[in-house]
Amino acid sequence: MDTLPPAQPVRGKAAWAVLAAVLALSSAYGLSLSLRHAAARTSRQQPTPEAWFEVSTVASPALVTQGRALFLSSCAHCHGADATGDEGPDLHGLEVSDRYISNTITHGIKGEMPSFRKKLGGGDIVSLVAYLHSL
Amino acid sequence: MDQAFWAKMHGAAVHFPIALTLCSGALDASGCFWPDAATRRGLHAAGYWTMLIGAAGTVPAVVSGLFMTKGVMLGHDALRLHHLFAWPAFALILGIAAWRVLAKDFATRRAALGYLGAVGLAAILVMAAGYWGGEMLLAR
Repeated sequence: MDTLPPAQPVRGKAAWAVLAAVLALSSAYGLSLSLRHAAARTSRQQPTPEAWFEVSTVASPALVTQGRALFLSSCAHCHGADATGDEGPDLHGLEVSDRYISNTITHGIKGEMPSFRKKLGGGDIVSLVAYLHSL
Repeated sequence: MDQAFWAKMHGAAVHFPIALTLCSGALDASGCFWPDAATRRGLHAAGYWTMLIGAAGTVPAVVSGLFMTKGVMLGHDALRLHHLFAWPAFALILGIAAWRVLAKDFATRRAALGYLGAVGLAAILVMAAGYWGGEMLLAR
């Protein structure tokens, strides 16, 4: 290895390197916020808050059964008893995240679907999400 | 432009920074131990430029990815795991490239080893991000 005299300040350069990394991440975050708000405006939905740490849902058969019961009492009159859609859309094969579904159930969709914030608790929504993903 | 367009752009953009970062690390590592001085300089010069071009290539990769996901920085499941490796890799690669531009050459053996360690870490993060990116496409 070619070894030159250690005359150049390494720490100063490292500080610039850290600054470049922080600027890069900040720019990405700024673009992300802008895109999320633009998407929310066009889809009429609120941007979903994100968390660094998140526990993934474990869909047990019992949870799915509980979700099915809740679905029949709260959702089936619009989405159909078999969730293939009636007034509301078909819910089979949803390719969206748990958080997206729970956000939709909690907040509803303006002019299309009511909010279930008051009717369903967190545990109810978890079981509903498990049921919908089982379809 | 729809998400399918940005998905294609992301696929087209991500492989250059992955390949160039890994190549840069290998070139600089070889340059540290190669017996011939002229070849050492050539390997370091190649490592320098591949790192710079790789770092520049991370920007279209990140921008196309953000447009593809409509600005999701973390997401869920495989996308979340992809992002948990991709963001540190992005920051680290740009930091490494900035350091390399300022330092030009390795002043000390310690600086060279520190640099190679950082590039190695970036390579691991990039490979992990790539693995989870592949899982999103292939594991369904």
